[in-house]
Amino acid sequence: MAPVEPVTIVAAGVVTPVGGDLEAFWSGLLTGADGITTIERFRVDDLKVPRGGEIKKLPERTADLACRASRLLATAADDLLARAPLDVDPTRVAIVVGTALGGVEELERALEDPRDTRHAAGALYDAPAHALAARLGVRGPVLTVSTACASGATALGLGADLLRAGTVDRVIAGGYDILCRFVMRGFDALRSLTRERVRPFDRRRSGLLLGEAAGLVMMARDREAPACLGRLLGHASAGDGVHISAPDPAGRGLALAVRQAMAEAGVTGEVIDLVSAHGTATPQNDRVESGVLREALGARAATVPVHAIKGGLGHTMGAAAALEAIACLLAARHGIIPHTFGFEERDPDCGLDIVAGAPRATPVRVSLSTSLGFGGCNAALVLEGGPA
Amino acid sequence: MSGVAVRAVGMVSGWGCGVGAWPSDVRGAAGGRRVIAAQPAPRASDRLRRATRECLLAVDAVEALLADGGLAREEIAGAGTALVYVTAAAYAASNRAFVEGGGGALHFPYTAPSAVPAEVAIEFGLHGPYAALIGGAATTVDAIEHAAALLARGACARALVLAVETFAECADLHARGGMLPEGPWVEAAVAALLEPSGGLGERERAPHVPDRGGSRPPDLIALGGTLACGPLIELAARRGGVVELRGRWRGREAIITVGVASEGPARPARRES
Repeated sequence: MAPVEPVTIVAAGVVTPVGGDLEAFWSGLLTGADGITTIERFRVDDLKVPRGGEIKKLPERTADLACRASRLLATAADDLLARAPLDVDPTRVAIVVGTALGGVEELERALEDPRDTRHAAGALYDAPAHALAARLGVRGPVLTVSTACASGATALGLGADLLRAGTVDRVIAGGYDILCRFVMRGFDALRSLTRERVRPFDRRRSGLLLGEAAGLVMMARDREAPACLGRLLGHASAGDGVHISAPDPAGRGLALAVRQAMAEAGVTGEVIDLVSAHGTATPQNDRVESGVLREALGARAATVPVHAIKGGLGHTMGAAAALEAIACLLAARHGIIPHTFGFEERDPDCGLDIVAGAPRATPVRVSLSTSLGFGGCNAALVLEGGPA
Repeated sequence: MSGVAVRAVGMVSGWGCGVGAWPSDVRGAAGGRRVIAAQPAPRASDRLRRATRECLLAVDAVEALLADGGLAREEIAGAGTALVYVTAAAYAASNRAFVEGGGGALHFPYTAPSAVPAEVAIEFGLHGPYAALIGGAATTVDAIEHAAALLARGACARALVLAVETFAECADLHARGGMLPEGPWVEAAVAALLEPSGGLGERERAPHVPDRGGSRPPDLIALGGTLACGPLIELAARRGGVVELRGRWRGREAIITVGVASEGPARPARRES
């Protein structure tokens, strides 16, 4: 496979449990802010684990949106557009967002009241993306990607494809998901949630906690934007075809996605300066992922810095990969890698250089970000950042 | 973008297997029913015992595709086949069952829209590029374009575009929400296998025997009663030559042109309105 044309990432905007905008998010990662709290917005007294990365307050300017998922998207978009105005023909702009849950909370509400019409209309998973398009006046393609917890990465890849094909001139891409009873009950039933701290790649890791967030980037064809946060060099996805919920124990799908993304980017493991790992802190995910990364990085596996951001945020599902990509670009811009919140004790089987204890100052140019999701969805992004 | 051609199409719907089962008078045949429900084929194997109806219909559509193209399972298995799935609503039933049934560890993974392509990937051994898009017929055009982009840059040798829609379990919710067009809503699962048109060999260039029987469903497609399945049903019904596929969803129309194996290369050309 020949390298593809890179795509510029003009700017980013976020809303997360550790910070309500891009600066606060980055500061939260560097200072080790803990966004995990007892969930307050809905009933959790019947759950074994009532904690998660809940955003306690959203800006009033988005209060007109009743759907929380739409509100997270609008908040992240406000942050994004404050940094980079959308000054092109609205018919030449696409929205491509990833989500694991869409508007499922609207479905829950619609089922509570058989006369309800408003929530029933929002129950389809693509409703929040279309609400965002309406809010921003975007009139190009509006795509919702739902490849579970790899959705955000796939969305960035699809957005890049739309630009390369000349379908549009700007893409707002990323991901979002909210905490709601539906997903908390589901993961509670699966017994995937830890009662302890989330500890990615730690020897004592015991599971994940969920979080809610939205992360968006504005993308343009390379060199068509005046300033940029970085570039998406390559992306790829691959299906495991093995199990409906568990990852392939051999990690073949993730390995293929990583190889193809690096081939598209025209890079090898030799030039990777940082890995932003999926790092859910479940025993199986981290074992599979570390094996794939050791193979991809080859002789440098023990020396390339690897970090994971889910310890302080929780697993933000559809938003996770977008936030991790943004963190890679911020690490390159500032020359510093946030430490892996929650990591304390090395797993002797891991074999990777997990950034631990404190942020690490080091030059970063090329990053690899990996994602895995239910149903064997795997995705990888190769990003290039640079100093401000 | 380089050309894509359609190698095979498989379809099951509430009317039966293939486009030939589609009645010429859809409304008359519906007899006032709001939903024309599709039933999966009986299975001897136990592997899919927990899978939802939408998963089973998807597997049936891919089986029909293999039969249409005269293909063995081994010919699509592996990392060379991309899987691009699209649906507007086929996850609503499993979501509702989880909410109303109290939920459980065995059922929760099936609430994800990506459970459908996951079961297809497991069943047919697909390990290539992978995407699941949510939306109606315009999104299916987007899915075809994404598949064409994957083929063009060599990320895969062939791409399976799969659409599934089910309505029966949530017809009341959809009616309340007012998001779906006038009925009847016809449940369907349709799969199309796309290949780079330049790569077709002599055998593949041989004309298909169209699976059309005599009637085709343009009136229903125009009404949008099959949502994401519409453009692929159109593909199944109009086999031969260069086919323009249109899709409308949430006020947006997307159009793409693709060729079929019997007619040689065609360029996918896309317009928006």
